[in-house]
Amino acid sequence: MRAAFRSFPLLAAALGLCVLSACATPPTDPDALADFKQTNDPLEPTNRVFYKVNDGLDKAVLEPVARAYRYVVPEPVRDSVHNVLANIDSPVLLANDMFQGKPRRAGDTLARFFINTTAGVVGIFDVAAKVGYPAHESDFGMTMALWGVPDGPYLFLPLLGPGDPRDDTGFGVDIALDPLTYVGKGTIVTVLKWSRYGLNLVDLREQALDPIDNVRRTALDPYATFRSLYRQHRASEIEKARNDNSRLTTPGW
Amino acid sequence: MTMTRRHLVMLAAAVALAPPAWGQTGDPVAFVNRSASELIAALDNSPTEAARRQALQQIVDRTVDVDGIGRFCLGRFWRLATPAQQQQYLALFHRTLMISITARLGDYKGVKLVTGRTQPTGDGTLVASTVTRPGQQPVSVGWLIGNAGGTQKVIDVVAEGTSLRQTQRSDYTSYLEQHGDNLQALIDGLQRQAAGQS
Repeated sequence: MRAAFRSFPLLAAALGLCVLSACATPPTDPDALADFKQTNDPLEPTNRVFYKVNDGLDKAVLEPVARAYRYVVPEPVRDSVHNVLANIDSPVLLANDMFQGKPRRAGDTLARFFINTTAGVVGIFDVAAKVGYPAHESDFGMTMALWGVPDGPYLFLPLLGPGDPRDDTGFGVDIALDPLTYVGKGTIVTVLKWSRYGLNLVDLREQALDPIDNVRRTALDPYATFRSLYRQHRASEIEKARNDNSRLTTPGW
Repeated sequence: MTMTRRHLVMLAAAVALAPPAWGQTGDPVAFVNRSASELIAALDNSPTEAARRQALQQIVDRTVDVDGIGRFCLGRFWRLATPAQQQQYLALFHRTLMISITARLGDYKGVKLVTGRTQPTGDGTLVASTVTRPGQQPVSVGWLIGNAGGTQKVIDVVAEGTSLRQTQRSDYTSYLEQHGDNLQALIDGLQRQAAGQS
């Protein structure tokens, strides 16, 4: 799962904006056109505006919060928080592993969930990784990719950050797939749910502090660098899932 | 006389035992392992920060095709550049790369590399490896080994699925597109960056 507040209206709004206003015009030079097609970012002018807005928001709010979190909370505790949050995501992960037709990965997720919930004390310790069930990424964007859905044009959305129609839709589906989305009513449950989203966001941002710092410091065009990193990272996770077929069910103890 | 003979024997033994000379096309995995152990040894044996920097620089110059990567990163703009601009850009690219490598010299302490599978690609052989550092998650790093002017060299580094030269190329070409395809703007930008970081 990526940033926590993803929803469809924003997607529609972004697509609407393109109709209303600035879409990049394809260049005429054949080499430039090849680059343009490879980047697949026809909404670039709009995306850049959203990137700027997001970047400002991030520097003003999320980054300081993540920095404070790193400063105040010692690393072992942060790791535990991360592990608990990851463990809560297990049902969504499992569903996607199965949708992808990846029994080995589904087995890993299931084993991880049982081991970490019990031996790992409600997910605080990632015991499973130590006994041969490593974590992996799995979400509905990846599932659709394995089903043959193309990623589509790059989309940088406010609050949600980098993505594309496939992965942003996948994010919405993942929320719908999460059993906890439907659990309970009342103030306490609502507060817990939003705390989870909030904590997830801070946890993700804390982990990304150094890489993002690094890009901001060294890239001439951070927008393009993040775009490239996002695309490459997704492609590599999808390929990893695609090729994860013939290995032993039991870890090689 | 005995001295000379022993000297000769040792020389012959050294020649026989030495890995295939630098620059010959050999096993890419052996090349990666050799370069890595050389790098680790150089970092461990250099007494001062300056010495480590210098050792690193030498190894990078010998094992990495910095010029080739620099050309790649400019994409279609390489051909549009004048020879003077190309030269200026490459010099800056060397500097930028060395700054980014030496910026986190402390990170290389206790680093270990284990090579994995190889995979042929369009322009070389990708050697997979796992890099571990004390107290850190292991990172998967791929080394693209290609032929640069008859010598075997690293032509790309792929960390956790993201290619260094691909990422750098999108940065540079996009910056150029944002600045009216003006190469001088990129050169100025790189210059500012190098000045701000060194």
